[in-house]
Amino acid sequence: MNNVNGSVVGSSSGSGDGSAPRRNSKRPKYSRFTQQELPACKPILTPKWVISVFTLIGVVFVPIGIASLMASNDVVEIVDRYDNVCVPSNMTSDKVAYIQNDDVDKTCSRTLKVPKHMSQPIYVYYQLDNFYQNHRRYVKSRNDAQLRKSSQANETSGCDPEKRTKDGAPIVPCGLIAWSLFNDTYIFATGNKNLTVNKKEISWKSDRDHKFGKDVFPKNFQSGPLIGGKKLNDTQPLNEQEDLIVWMRTAALPTFRKLYGRIEQDLNAGDVISVTLKNNYNTYSFSGKKKLVLSTSSWLGGKNDFLGIAYLAVGGLCFFLAVAFTIVYLVKPRKLGDPSYLSWNRNPAGH
Amino acid sequence: MQISDAHEMVKLEKDPNAAFALIIDGKTLTYALEDDLKNKFLSLAVNCASVICCRVSPKQKALVVTRLVKEGTGKTTLAIGDGANDVGMIQEADIGVGISGVEGMQAVMASDFSISQFRFLERLLVVHGHWCYKRIAQMICYFFYKNIAFGLTIFYFEAYTGFSGQSVYDDWYMLLFNVILTSLPVISLGVFEQDVSSEVCLQFPALYQQGPRNLFFDWYRIFGWMGNGLYSSIVIYFLSILIFYNQAFRANGQTADMAAVGTSMFTCIVWTVNLQIVLTMSHFTWIQHLFVWGSIATWYLFLIAYGMCSPVISGNAYRILSEALGPAPIYWAATLLATLSCNLPYLVYIAFQRALNPLDHHVIQEIKYYRKDVEDQHMWKRERSKARQRTKIGFTARVDAKIRQLKRKLQKKVSSLSIQTQP
Repeated sequence: MNNVNGSVVGSSSGSGDGSAPRRNSKRPKYSRFTQQELPACKPILTPKWVISVFTLIGVVFVPIGIASLMASNDVVEIVDRYDNVCVPSNMTSDKVAYIQNDDVDKTCSRTLKVPKHMSQPIYVYYQLDNFYQNHRRYVKSRNDAQLRKSSQANETSGCDPEKRTKDGAPIVPCGLIAWSLFNDTYIFATGNKNLTVNKKEISWKSDRDHKFGKDVFPKNFQSGPLIGGKKLNDTQPLNEQEDLIVWMRTAALPTFRKLYGRIEQDLNAGDVISVTLKNNYNTYSFSGKKKLVLSTSSWLGGKNDFLGIAYLAVGGLCFFLAVAFTIVYLVKPRKLGDPSYLSWNRNPAGH
Repeated sequence: MQISDAHEMVKLEKDPNAAFALIIDGKTLTYALEDDLKNKFLSLAVNCASVICCRVSPKQKALVVTRLVKEGTGKTTLAIGDGANDVGMIQEADIGVGISGVEGMQAVMASDFSISQFRFLERLLVVHGHWCYKRIAQMICYFFYKNIAFGLTIFYFEAYTGFSGQSVYDDWYMLLFNVILTSLPVISLGVFEQDVSSEVCLQFPALYQQGPRNLFFDWYRIFGWMGNGLYSSIVIYFLSILIFYNQAFRANGQTADMAAVGTSMFTCIVWTVNLQIVLTMSHFTWIQHLFVWGSIATWYLFLIAYGMCSPVISGNAYRILSEALGPAPIYWAATLLATLSCNLPYLVYIAFQRALNPLDHHVIQEIKYYRKDVEDQHMWKRERSKARQRTKIGFTARVDAKIRQLKRKLQKKVSSLSIQTQP
């Protein structure tokens, strides 16, 4: 890097008599800024820089990739799809009728086998596929003012169609997001011991403290003819309804997981977990899938090899590019600043 | 008939360095401009190095100098004048330059550019014209690139929302993208960028030819930049989606919602686009550094400030950086990966171009960087004179041409004399 301090060229004084006291010259005042002569660094992409940059990227990325991949491999994950198998055999032809029939018992039992040792805390998620929580009409169907303060209970703008009851009373919390709250429940047991699921602090702290008021109680919720999901306890303020808070954070993709709770015990390899679940939520109308996920976590999060593989790929590519450029510079070296590469020297005939 | 005679003379002249001048006055010009003679006159005039027309009326100035030449040769014309009688000519030409001074301000008011002395025309063309061309070409290509990279990610997301029109970014992010976060570096590129310094521009008029030959704004470059934008948008979008997929993104087991994915994707875009302009620029003053790094810093500061606003305003972006994304290593890792992956192809391209097929200004930049112009003065002078040879730009170029012609005549005389003296 060098600093270029140019001098003023071509605009030397035109009047010609420098020694006599100057007449009122119309020449504008000189400043580095207006003459575009600010000190500048003009870096050049030399072979040294090119090879060092690629090598540096490779050297940084490959260890990060390996660390990410190792972290992801340490995570143990059990995924179990249950929406198709939990329908009783005599009702598989009309699953929608089954799910909407309140008289049919929705209890279902599943068994999960633990493949490797899972250390606590083990996170329990429910995964929904083909559920578009990111649809525009769905995302805007909520009212944040109403969720925060009980005095704003009448604020229901934007919550169509779940705004008010037939009598005109406001629904708290209003909107489609709250209305479609997931309502399957899971009970876990291993051997003959029950595994308690800690459902506290599964939502973001800022949501509990600032977004959902501690004096806002559900009112007229799920009171209409169409029930979309879970019914809420009227005596519990919204900031303690963690399932609702977690659900209201709309997911980015149509396949998503949401935190259900934490199991705060270790599970050993080979353990058999029996799950008693209530298959309440209707995903059959839109061919959605429901899955139960148990997963440990690492410093990076859950199980996803993509980050590690991507880092390794880019790091490897950079090493390859560094080697390729070294070969190019050795095979076809070009002395830097060699004037024979100027266009009038290269093809003197045409210009 | 005079015109045809002159034509023959020009054709017969074999010396490539000979320069002809055509002198014609106003009265004769009226006859030369009649329809049957117009084209012959033009072809003769174009073959001469200089054409001097004296005692011409203002209307003839506009007719000859500009309309005839403009339509006859199809080239870009520049007209310069200082008086009211030049106004027609200045307006007719593609580029009009007015000189302000003794004859008043009429020419200045009708012109595109105005200068105060005639000799500043050289600097106007060779320094500022050259810089302006490069700056505008780079700025337009970069503008397309950054908006394509940003806009296409929104389109890709639509495929994942059932085409309902939901944007993955918060409205404020999209508003600020073109206003604060990426506009100032482009402005600094368009205003301050210099590929070579002004002395080099004056010493190497051949560099100006990069403009007329349109080396920097041809379709290859435009489509190349658009392709770069398309590639960046694909990489940023799919990397963000696949990294944050559906598993937990933090050690506490929380999964990423749309605000987290959108914020992370937007961070990648801001970094990528700003790093790309750093790779494009070749002249870094404190202003460029301030704008580029300041834009990136402004993004993070905005996130923090926006996150501190009440949740009624910021919605799901409330405290997103301080609580959700900041402590998550996956956020920073995704930013680093996406930024460098998007800029790699361009880096490879410019490294290859400099290695195998450098452009003129690259070589000159290297000569100045390694101070070879100071070490090897002889080489520097030689290259400078070669750069002036065929361009016929500048007073010194004409003098050089004349000197060369005289030298050749002298050599011929000397060699003929030496033949005579040697029996």
